Amino acid sequence: MLKGFSTILVKELKELIRDPKIIIGMIVIPLIMFPVLGLVLGYAVETAQEQAQKATIVVINNDGGNWSNRFINLLNTTINVNVVNNITPEQVLAQDLLAKNNSTQFIEIPAGFSTNMTQHTEGNLNITAAINTYSVFSGGSVFSEIGSSTITNFVSGFNRYIAPNVVYTTPSTIIKGEIQTGVDPSTLSSLLLSQSIVLPITIMILLTYAMQIAATSVAMEKEEKTLETLLTLPVDRFAILMGKLSSSICVAGVGALAYMIGYNYLMGSFMIGIQAGTSIDLVKLGLVPSPFGYLLLGISLFVTLLSGLALAVIMSAFSEDVRGAQSLIGYIYPLIFIPTFALMYLDINTLPLALRTVFFAIPYSQPIIASKAVIMGDYATVIFGIIYVAAFTIVIMYIASRLFATEKILTAKLKFKGLKGFRKARTEQPEQ
Amino acid sequence: MSLAVDAKALVKQFGNIRALDELSFYIKPGEIFGLIGPNGAGKTTALRIVSTLLLPTSGTITVFNLDVVNQAAEVRKHISYLPEEAGAYRNLSGLEYLEFMAKFNTKNASELKQIINEAAQISGLGDRLKDKAKTYSKGMKRRLLVARALMTRPKLAVLDEPASGLDVLHAYHVREIIKSYVKEHGVTVLLSSHNMLEVEYLCDRVALLNKGKIVVEGKPNELKQKYKSENLEEVFAKVVGYA
Repeated sequence: MLKGFSTILVKELKELIRDPKIIIGMIVIPLIMFPVLGLVLGYAVETAQEQAQKATIVVINNDGGNWSNRFINLLNTTINVNVVNNITPEQVLAQDLLAKNNSTQFIEIPAGFSTNMTQHTEGNLNITAAINTYSVFSGGSVFSEIGSSTITNFVSGFNRYIAPNVVYTTPSTIIKGEIQTGVDPSTLSSLLLSQSIVLPITIMILLTYAMQIAATSVAMEKEEKTLETLLTLPVDRFAILMGKLSSSICVAGVGALAYMIGYNYLMGSFMIGIQAGTSIDLVKLGLVPSPFGYLLLGISLFVTLLSGLALAVIMSAFSEDVRGAQSLIGYIYPLIFIPTFALMYLDINTLPLALRTVFFAIPYSQPIIASKAVIMGDYATVIFGIIYVAAFTIVIMYIASRLFATEKILTAKLKFKGLKGFRKARTEQPEQ
Repeated sequence: MSLAVDAKALVKQFGNIRALDELSFYIKPGEIFGLIGPNGAGKTTALRIVSTLLLPTSGTITVFNLDVVNQAAEVRKHISYLPEEAGAYRNLSGLEYLEFMAKFNTKNASELKQIINEAAQISGLGDRLKDKAKTYSKGMKRRLLVARALMTRPKLAVLDEPASGLDVLHAYHVREIIKSYVKEHGVTVLLSSHNMLEVEYLCDRVALLNKGKIVVEGKPNELKQKYKSENLEEVFAKVVGYA
């Protein structure tokens, strides 16, 4: 064994273990964060499955024959069915039948279904019967296919019960209130799934990186013992704060720009892949943000970054050095990580009001919510989010400016009492 | 004639600890005034209050008739503070650091150049000013910082342990700079030190501080005579009952 290794190891461990900020940041927070995430995701799966089971499916019966009735009766044993006759799919949307039945999908049994079924069952195996399915697309998330898979599973079961490969489904997707014939919702979800994972993770990385930079800029002044001199110069304290924030904003701005360019490239690569492999064109489907959508997304990202940076500066004021500042910033990370991972799997619009409010109240959720909302053309949600985060930022900036204007910027510390708790902003005795 | 600094009954409380206890002192313009005492006596706290970094819990203090609490921004235009453990920005060269600091005092290009040249002269660092501060020794860094504190010819320079921790030659250089520069330009100096010999050499008048209170005040020679001591160290020991 290396000489002196164990002595150094023991000393390092003592230093790390005796720093409560590290213990809480590295051990306690992950122990809380992941169970919280697990609860949220478990709840999401449960909710999606329950909704799928409780949902009512509107069935347009344009056939009216025996086989269509048998099909509907069997379907009715697994899911609630509301049958309407002699109506076109467009009329279902026009009459708002989906909303009235609290449903997100419907089936059309076209004329000739029973005839084809009869011929197939009598031995003419070349003849098959088709049904048309229509599903509302509400943005990509990992669990978004749970609902639409119910019909697919039922049709497989029906085929096994009657004859192999007799009924085929022709899926279509309803995007922004319009039927996109032949666009398979599960293909679409798969295409946008990678996007719904990549975007939140990129935003998460950008936020955490920018906050580290901002926190370090103040902590470095403390560590290098330059802050005291700076604070006695004939310069407005607010100017010092703004100077520090602005430099972080520049970095964050470049980050946001790089993000938008990368995002645009990502969307472009989707379209190239889609054009090569399938008939789905995201531009034609309106599933690529408009220039206004890009602008809103950029603003949302920018104000969120600004609020994160201001908060990071405040947090760093409570630390004595760079390591302390980075540990303190760690406490904010769960507020970034939880919405990031949760909103990969969840569609915020389908969550109960309380949970939706919690996610919306976390400022760092906003760019993730915005990235999905701009695709769906839901600009109101994005604008409201921007206003909310801007207001939050103003409050944080005010607190930061007050902190810089007083002696607390030098004397404030987070006071830990072991791991039992901590008192905030305790004024410490500096060196006399 | 108005006083450069006029502190009356200053109290600074940190939780249960009373760092300053009814501290009163004054400094005349052009004077070098030393606050001396052991570690923890309250010297740095007093200097930080004068420099607008800390607020007194009670008491009043003015700098050239400006209230330090209510006119802090105005006070900062007339003072220059050198903290005991000050650092320079590691990735800036000495010249860049001086320029950065000087720009807070003037935007005029020729004035700026004059200030920086003066600082270069005070520091005596020559071509090393072009190197990044992270390459400087402790003594070089301190010389740079003293030059920064004096280059703008502040009305009041507040110097906390200006030669603390320096070797003989660097400490000698720093003391000579302070002595000659302030007399030449009429700068008022408030300095703290626990090096009694340094204070005796530099200061026109001193106050001996213990547990947040001034225990004795006067000119070094007068104090030595009064307490029949060879130096201020002995005076201090006698005053606090140690000798």
